[in-house]
Amino acid sequence: MSEQFRPNIVAFLCNWCTYAGADLAGTSRVQYPANVKIIRVMCSGRVNPLYVVNALQQGADGVIISGCHPGDCHYMEGNFYARRRLKLLKELLEFTGVDPRRFTMSWVSASEGHKWKEVVEKAVEDVRAAGPFDQFQRRQIGW
Amino acid sequence: MDLDKLRKTAAEIVSRDDVKYLIGWRRGTFGYRVSPHFVRDAAGADELIFSPLCISNLANYLTLVEKLPVPRGQEPDTRKVALMVKGCDSRAVAQLLAEKGIKREEVVVVGLPCPGMIDRKLLAEKYPETEQAAEIRWRGEDFVLVDGEEETVIPRAEVLAEKCRLCRHPNPVLSDVTVGEPVEPWAAAEDSGVAEIMAKNAEERWAYWEEQFSKCIRCYSCKNACPLCYCEDCILDRLDPIWVNRSVNFSENTAFHLARAFHLAGRCIECGECERVCPAGIPLGKLNRMLAQTVREEYEFEPGLDPEAEPFQASYKPDDPEEFIL
Repeated sequence: MSEQFRPNIVAFLCNWCTYAGADLAGTSRVQYPANVKIIRVMCSGRVNPLYVVNALQQGADGVIISGCHPGDCHYMEGNFYARRRLKLLKELLEFTGVDPRRFTMSWVSASEGHKWKEVVEKAVEDVRAAGPFDQFQRRQIGW
Repeated sequence: MDLDKLRKTAAEIVSRDDVKYLIGWRRGTFGYRVSPHFVRDAAGADELIFSPLCISNLANYLTLVEKLPVPRGQEPDTRKVALMVKGCDSRAVAQLLAEKGIKREEVVVVGLPCPGMIDRKLLAEKYPETEQAAEIRWRGEDFVLVDGEEETVIPRAEVLAEKCRLCRHPNPVLSDVTVGEPVEPWAAAEDSGVAEIMAKNAEERWAYWEEQFSKCIRCYSCKNACPLCYCEDCILDRLDPIWVNRSVNFSENTAFHLARAFHLAGRCIECGECERVCPAGIPLGKLNRMLAQTVREEYEFEPGLDPEAEPFQASYKPDDPEEFIL
């Protein structure tokens, strides 16, 4: 059964590093699981923690957030803020009983197409182990 | 607590030309209740009290004032607001100052060292018969209930509010005038409820919070009572984009509570107002305390102690923990 479960993962990628890294993985023909839906944001510091909550509410089984390595941010310090903020979000989600494996954060630079592949493979494996996440899904309101 | 001295000090403060009014506590109209009291002249100061029932955090009123545009030809009212604060309330003021939510020259802080407050619900449960007339005072470590001639000593452990058991700053961290002697901080209790939940596994935690959040009726009392929830345009009220639907169901309630707790991460000063006012009895304090504990232990930061400090989420250190990042 778990073999058939195909996780639905939303990835918020920084425009300058990880998005370019994922692009490199594509142009280099690196094979990685097709379970991630990539959303490009201008910086990992742009990721409002409510994006993550909203993604989980709208049916994502896991979330990846990835940006530049510390010190490499295009906006100098955006990823430092993201690091603090998302650490707290991770703790909060864990405290409320969301499996910590559903939340992945990584630093992937524009030249690390292979690292991106590893991150995705690990995330897919983790989320697959954690199973589908439908307890939190937004209920459709019928009038 | 010397009430005469408190009232005299308050009367002096409100008589000043540069003070608009003073916010304090007075006896409520029913039972053990205490209500906020806005003192506008020296005569009003006679009603002020400071008893173990003055648990509410009045710092909320600083940001609740509606700032109307000044009519042409009139000068804006730049008079100060005087505020009576306990230890926890003073941290709310300090945090508001740190975030530049208020200006230092707008407030006069009257600090009151606080020996610990009573949880009114516990008190009314255990001593319901005296609810109408009784007065509560501190006596040494314990509380004493005075009903006419009769005095009943209530052991501290029996009725002490949860936030006071966990209190680490009973003395005001900032004040212009202090009334009363500083109290000796007591050893904060260890059982903040966080470790107990973290000991469960993820499914049990989810089940616990599912039960709690399902009780929420979305009255937004927690948000309104919080001295630090003062954004004029709250993301949870916004209709475009709509972040959290208004419908009352488990999914939306959870999103609401996650967002509310997150917006107080590194800012919450643990005054316990959200939990106290919750009509559904959701242990919101546990969420806040968990985040406060993380911030304290992993980042060595405590909000509301230094009015000059950089707000936690608006600052960073190059060596912040990142062991969770791949």
